[in-house]
Amino acid sequence: MNPEGDKILGMTAMRLATVVAPALTDSYAQSSVGLLNFMLSFVAKEYERGADIRATENSDIREAFAELTPLVADNELKAQLATAAREKDTSLRISALNTANYALRRLLVQLQTHLEEQEGHKARAGEKRIWQLLKAIAARRMVNLAG
Amino acid sequence: MSDDIAPRLQAYLAEKLKAPDLTVANLARIPGGASRETYRFRARYTKGGTSADRALILRRDPAASLIETERSAEFRAYQAFHKEGLPVPEPIALELDGAALERPFFIMEEIENCQVGGVLTPDPYGEHREKIGRQFFTNLGRIAKADPKALGLSDFDGAKDVKDCWRHEVARWEKVVNDDEREPQPIVRAAIRWLKKNPPPPAQKIAVVHGDYRNGNFLFDSHGDMRGILDWEMAHLGDPLEDLGWAIDPLWAAGDAARPGCMIARAEAIHIWEQASGLKADPKALHWWEIFASFKGAAIWISAACEYAEGRNTDPINAFSGWYPLAFHNKVLADRLGAEHGL
Repeated sequence: MNPEGDKILGMTAMRLATVVAPALTDSYAQSSVGLLNFMLSFVAKEYERGADIRATENSDIREAFAELTPLVADNELKAQLATAAREKDTSLRISALNTANYALRRLLVQLQTHLEEQEGHKARAGEKRIWQLLKAIAARRMVNLAG
Repeated sequence: MSDDIAPRLQAYLAEKLKAPDLTVANLARIPGGASRETYRFRARYTKGGTSADRALILRRDPAASLIETERSAEFRAYQAFHKEGLPVPEPIALELDGAALERPFFIMEEIENCQVGGVLTPDPYGEHREKIGRQFFTNLGRIAKADPKALGLSDFDGAKDVKDCWRHEVARWEKVVNDDEREPQPIVRAAIRWLKKNPPPPAQKIAVVHGDYRNGNFLFDSHGDMRGILDWEMAHLGDPLEDLGWAIDPLWAAGDAARPGCMIARAEAIHIWEQASGLKADPKALHWWEIFASFKGAAIWISAACEYAEGRNTDPINAFSGWYPLAFHNKVLADRLGAEHGL
């Protein structure tokens, strides 16, 4: 498909800003169109990067699970982490990546909570490793307003 | 929609103000957040032989609200702080049963010829940034200093004991996350655990907390005078540091935590607040309330995303809130809590 979806969304946002918004006299409608313009710009960026963000995040979480599983004392959680660490994404559809991502995030919350309750420097190092991962996830998901 | 409610609003106000000749003109919806529908209009009438032409604001409940808020508390907060002499619009009428306009609403004066600063604008106040900043933190200090009992607000929702302020607020916003989380939020969950494990010292006093005192929620005029503190809908009792932590959150400063609200330097802002409130902003306690502020923000954005995704409130502000501000606060929390682990 050419033009691609992100191009179409970006051009639609620009048309809203330059053609539709100036023709409106109602301030609430103007404000709504301004926000719609903003949102279309965001969605255009997400069209381009959405699958990459999710696939990278899923891969990073699995890698952390593989590293941290040996620190886990709870056998059931340990088995779940080991299984998750071996899995791979088989589809790049956003819905499929999200399904995997939500499951991985739920397990990540369990792992982090478990390590916080453990004594010793290994558990602290494990916590630090998770915060490295969370910082990277948060930075990758940030939306750049400037364009 | 504006045309639909104009005759009913006119009939209501004519009765309320005992002015049978009252007319409502220029009724128009204006941007005012997703938790209330906001309209501007003029009410023209004669009373006691005198003509009046008043600019008023109508705030009506939407079909679904971004955050569940107590509208009578909001109205009473406007009343109390208007009487206290703070720059707050005069409240005119409150109707909880909603019979006149289908849904509950309240009416207050419009403070004309003013504007609000854009939340995401790097320099919303231009040459007036420092003048406005000094007023902004002085007024916040005055809210902190006020006695809830003397204001008639000691029955407000919130903590009644100085030791319970933090716990009450964490529980309130954790419930919002529990109710509205549509995807697992590991950073927010970690923040909740951190807040519970590292409680702040007891509050210095129980104060009325505005709840959303920030850049974008007040009116200022062309001389750089702060004229109206708005959006008291989350007002409650609690630790006054809660408002300070929220006001200096980097989201309201275009990401520049060193210059809260894009106004004045952080140290000066805190000093002004301390002078006006007569309280101390203990760095350790304030640090906790700053982490809390970003968590509370994340909870609000999660709720906004839920409202939008489930079709209860499709105002685009909710889609925006659930996207950019949530990503922003997740990053602030990850950076601040990561720093607690040496990162």
